[in-house]
Amino acid sequence: MSKDNKKTSLRYRLLWPIRNEKWQPITIPVASILFSFIVAAIVILLLGKNPIQAFYNLFQGAGIFPKATYAGYKSMLTDFLSLLDAMTPLVFASLAVAVALRAGLFNIGVSGQMLFSGFIATIIVGYSGLDAFVAKPLVLLIGMIAGGLMGGLVGWLKYKFNIHEVVTTIMLNYIAQYVISFFIHNYYIDPVSRQSKYITEAARLTLVNFEFANLKMDIPLGFILAIAVAIFVKFLLDKTVVGFEIKAVGSNRDAAKYTGIKVGSNMILAMIISGGLAGLAGVTYYLGDFASIQPKVLTSLGFDSIAVALLGNSHPIGIIFSSFLISIIDQGSTYMSSQAGIRQEIASVIIGLILLFSACGAYVKHKVSRLKEKEVDRKDSES
Amino acid sequence: MSEYIVEMKHITKRFPGIVANDDVSIGIKKGEIFALLGENGAGKSTLMSMLSGMYEPDEGEIYIRGEKVQISSPNHAANLNIGMVHQHFKLVEDYTITENIILGIEPIKKFAGLFPYVGIRGANRKIEELSKKFGLEVDPTKKIADLTVSMQQRVEILKVLYREAEILIFDEPTAVLTPQEIDFLLAIIEGLRNSGKTIILITHKLEEIKRVADRCAVLNKGKLIDVLDVETTSVNLMAQLMVGREVNFESEKTPAQFKEEVLKVEQLTVKNEDGFEVVKDVSFTIHSGEIFAIAGVADNGQVEIADAIAGLIKASGGKIFLNGQDITNDSIRNRTESGISYIPEDRQKFGLFLDFDLSTNLGSKQYYKKPFSNKGILNKQEFDQFGTQLIEKYDIRSGQGIKTQVRSMSGGNQQKAIIAREIELQSPLMIFVQPTRGVDIGAIENIHRMMIEQRDQGKAILLVSLELDEIMNVADTIGVIYNGQLQKVASSDSLTTNEVGEYMMGAKHE
Amino acid sequence: MDTIIIDGLSFALPLFIMAIGGIYSEKSGITNLALEGFQGFGAFIGAMSAVLIANASGAAVENMFYVALIFAMIGGMGFSVIHAVLSIKFKANQVISGVVINILALALTTFLTTQINALVFGAASDKFRLGVSERFTIDGLANIPVIGAVFTDVYPFEVIIIVIAIFAWYVLYKTKFGLRLRASGENPQSVDAAGVNVYKIRFSAVLISGMLSGLAGMCFAYSISAQFSSGIYMGYGFLAIAALIFGNWRILPTLAACLLFGFAKSGGMYIAQAMALPSSFTDLFMILPYVLTLLLLIFFSKTNRAPRALGEIYDKGKR
Repeated sequence: MSKDNKKTSLRYRLLWPIRNEKWQPITIPVASILFSFIVAAIVILLLGKNPIQAFYNLFQGAGIFPKATYAGYKSMLTDFLSLLDAMTPLVFASLAVAVALRAGLFNIGVSGQMLFSGFIATIIVGYSGLDAFVAKPLVLLIGMIAGGLMGGLVGWLKYKFNIHEVVTTIMLNYIAQYVISFFIHNYYIDPVSRQSKYITEAARLTLVNFEFANLKMDIPLGFILAIAVAIFVKFLLDKTVVGFEIKAVGSNRDAAKYTGIKVGSNMILAMIISGGLAGLAGVTYYLGDFASIQPKVLTSLGFDSIAVALLGNSHPIGIIFSSFLISIIDQGSTYMSSQAGIRQEIASVIIGLILLFSACGAYVKHKVSRLKEKEVDRKDSES
Repeated sequence: MSEYIVEMKHITKRFPGIVANDDVSIGIKKGEIFALLGENGAGKSTLMSMLSGMYEPDEGEIYIRGEKVQISSPNHAANLNIGMVHQHFKLVEDYTITENIILGIEPIKKFAGLFPYVGIRGANRKIEELSKKFGLEVDPTKKIADLTVSMQQRVEILKVLYREAEILIFDEPTAVLTPQEIDFLLAIIEGLRNSGKTIILITHKLEEIKRVADRCAVLNKGKLIDVLDVETTSVNLMAQLMVGREVNFESEKTPAQFKEEVLKVEQLTVKNEDGFEVVKDVSFTIHSGEIFAIAGVADNGQVEIADAIAGLIKASGGKIFLNGQDITNDSIRNRTESGISYIPEDRQKFGLFLDFDLSTNLGSKQYYKKPFSNKGILNKQEFDQFGTQLIEKYDIRSGQGIKTQVRSMSGGNQQKAIIAREIELQSPLMIFVQPTRGVDIGAIENIHRMMIEQRDQGKAILLVSLELDEIMNVADTIGVIYNGQLQKVASSDSLTTNEVGEYMMGAKHE
Repeated sequence: MDTIIIDGLSFALPLFIMAIGGIYSEKSGITNLALEGFQGFGAFIGAMSAVLIANASGAAVENMFYVALIFAMIGGMGFSVIHAVLSIKFKANQVISGVVINILALALTTFLTTQINALVFGAASDKFRLGVSERFTIDGLANIPVIGAVFTDVYPFEVIIIVIAIFAWYVLYKTKFGLRLRASGENPQSVDAAGVNVYKIRFSAVLISGMLSGLAGMCFAYSISAQFSSGIYMGYGFLAIAALIFGNWRILPTLAACLLFGFAKSGGMYIAQAMALPSSFTDLFMILPYVLTLLLLIFFSKTNRAPRALGEIYDKGKR
């Protein structure tokens, strides 16, 4: 009996960093990240490489730490701006996942919604030759509407026909991928790059090769918007009647209905907002960094966003931090690969592991509170 | 060899936060009916769970037939010929009676001497014989979904008999039965005893103990109070010991003063998901200052009536009027606004957002209007203020006040929170569905008092309950439902418990 | 016409065996969106074993099919342990767990494929070339009009799958394991009260789904793909899930759904070829199974009934 007690309290002591429930939303993700990096470090060690060096390279590549040398017109600042450029769609996409999650829905179709909205914005505005002041806001608007429509369709199918949104979104992913590939191949193909033709600079959401202080940098115009939207989403969820209803539906659908909340319309609304956010991700992705669409490819960013949202506890501000981290892993991987000689694909493995450990978060929380109860009992019985 | 077939010595069992059993010692003789009496949460089910292998005691010893045992699983208990008839039936609805009974100890046959398969036919025969032997006749090939509650209970009893149990534990077996079904069950239990089985009866109903039990152990807050010889002990003494103070069996009630008509239900018909009519052509009215109770066996359409009035399900026929206004096709929200409060049967599924805090839950019926929100923006201070007020007024206890996650609150306090929220809506019509289910006696008295108080303030009250005692106690008017139809509507003074029971069975109608 | 049947069957049957795996898992009460990841990871292990053994022994990769199949089943089963542990032991949300596993499978197999190719073969390739397994034709039966196509150019795995499917049906509906498994998905408390360990039943059900998915993934890799690469993640796992939903979680109707998908796919290709459309039009016909899935779900979702306890976390200690 007493031996058992000792074991409990040792385990209890080992868990001190994640014991405080108030800090768990932060401590548990941080623990997941640490574990993932430890596992990745072991893999890198097994490959006969130096993990510390590799991780340092990762951060160098992302513009967090300075590289040894830079090519002309490049510096740590330009690398950092590229990081923000890549991070922008990820923030939107993760917010899309988070809003749906708060309503109790899994939007696995962010990639498809991104592709659809990016494609629609490309063909309507991308080749139009409109002035930048008209074109850029129009791109954002069209992206939001296109994504929102596709998200809304998913919500409607769920409400009307009780089709699980995971199945719908995945089917729509494939349908969008093939149909858009068909249109690009037939109407918008660039014969050299085998991608869609490049859009006009006026419609792009990234200012490319902006010259300043003898540097050529890419300025992501959408980044500020992404931060603003994150704050807006937080406000919407926490402080408004709409947010209250969405969260109520996500927390307990039966109780929400009993309370008089229209469950169906709120699910559709949540999916429209989620799709709209995915649409913003789509236009900042396809009409920002890339300015072109590769046919028949769904960006993995749409799936990474699930990891980011989970890691950020579906909390808008948490998501800003977690997308920052995931973007570093993604962006820095090329440089790490060239410097440390480790295959670039390990980046997605690290992200996958982070996701895996985050998924264990609920269990850890539950275990910790159980241990705590036991510990309290033990103290009670001792005293 | 001791005189006891079951002996539990100095049993202590702790759960996080509570001591469910505290140094309890009892001995049960072979061939007797031994009752365990106590309120909800007194620890009687926990004590028996340790005998049936669901839990192991933290301290203490168990002896079966004089031998010390550690019962580690239900299987182990079955090997010791101990079987439990659970209060909440553990049956697979899609399976036949036989499949349910043999689950876990399936008889295996071999096809072509090679491929093992479950021998259903032989099992069917064996169960039929068994059911005849103990007077529990059933058709073993029927599916559970097609059985009445009392038939399902027979299946549970057959399950333990099939496992050759000699010691049978009945956990609150009469909670869901009509008076006539209760008579039948008690006769079966006596029959089992007469054929040499030992029976342990967990209950909080004194009358049943008086009728069949030989001896009775009284538990209170996890402690054994006394073991009594039933024949020589009065019901009042048993009740006193159970509650720990003198109790008042009947709620104090002033005569009802009916005023204007509040709710009028006209030829209401409701279909379930499969298109089957679960409520047929039901009409009744409730007045201001009246408690109208619907009595009936579970699943006879009474909950659907309440749901249809509140708007949770659609009426397929008929009309519902509130204060003279037709609300048949109104939304749930509009009905709440026109004046309906609803305390639902399943408080965790419908009544509460378990992951939200207490103040949010208390404000969850009014969040959309002033002062809780303004132009779509929520006012958190208002929620907190309102919550603090209600906690005080209704004595809702919780760990961290308004910030407590509702999930962590006790069932009784969760129920208080719902009732507080619904009363505060000041609705002319209040619907209570099974308001006292799973709360302890003190809280039951309190809930009855509040219902009567609301009635006296001129509310119309619809009570749906499976507890006949409760209905006889608080109702002014009783409507008895059977198979979706109202069999009888009459003033509660003009009906006896037995009459209501007969109507509930459909044995008698107008 | 013959090609529609031949290609349709060779696509439908692997889908079917994967769907059976899904039925096992879901009938036991565990939502399984991880089939996609299981089949990919299983195929990866199978393909890797085939390539490595062929390399070591000097045999042709095409002949390694049966070896690959066995390793794929082991691989799929091994990977499914993650889903089992997360959703049964760790009580994680089963949908999240499934999604996590699919993402992890893609990332891991892509990384490991390039890594192994670089280490063993010194080539920076992201695929394992496998070729197509040999086929056989049953002479007499193949001459019957229309139906003869069923016996023409048959992959050996089609026979294996049918045998396993019959066995799976027998286990699920006739044995005590099947009786307990189906009860676990309907009312786990009743199984527990009968003294049967629900966790063990569910654990084995998830492992079976992993094993059968691995088998299916390997069949795809040795037929339509002729290789292992990240292209194996084409959403077959999700099609299998859609099939078992129309099939109302029953084995025979699920077979019908799989055949429908198979023929929709091969029929679409056939039409595209027969009409001599440019290759870009195949993209349009590729969507047929997915559109069909959505349409059928619209009609069937309301009437179908999922296992009652599907997706619910079972906590034995809960009172």
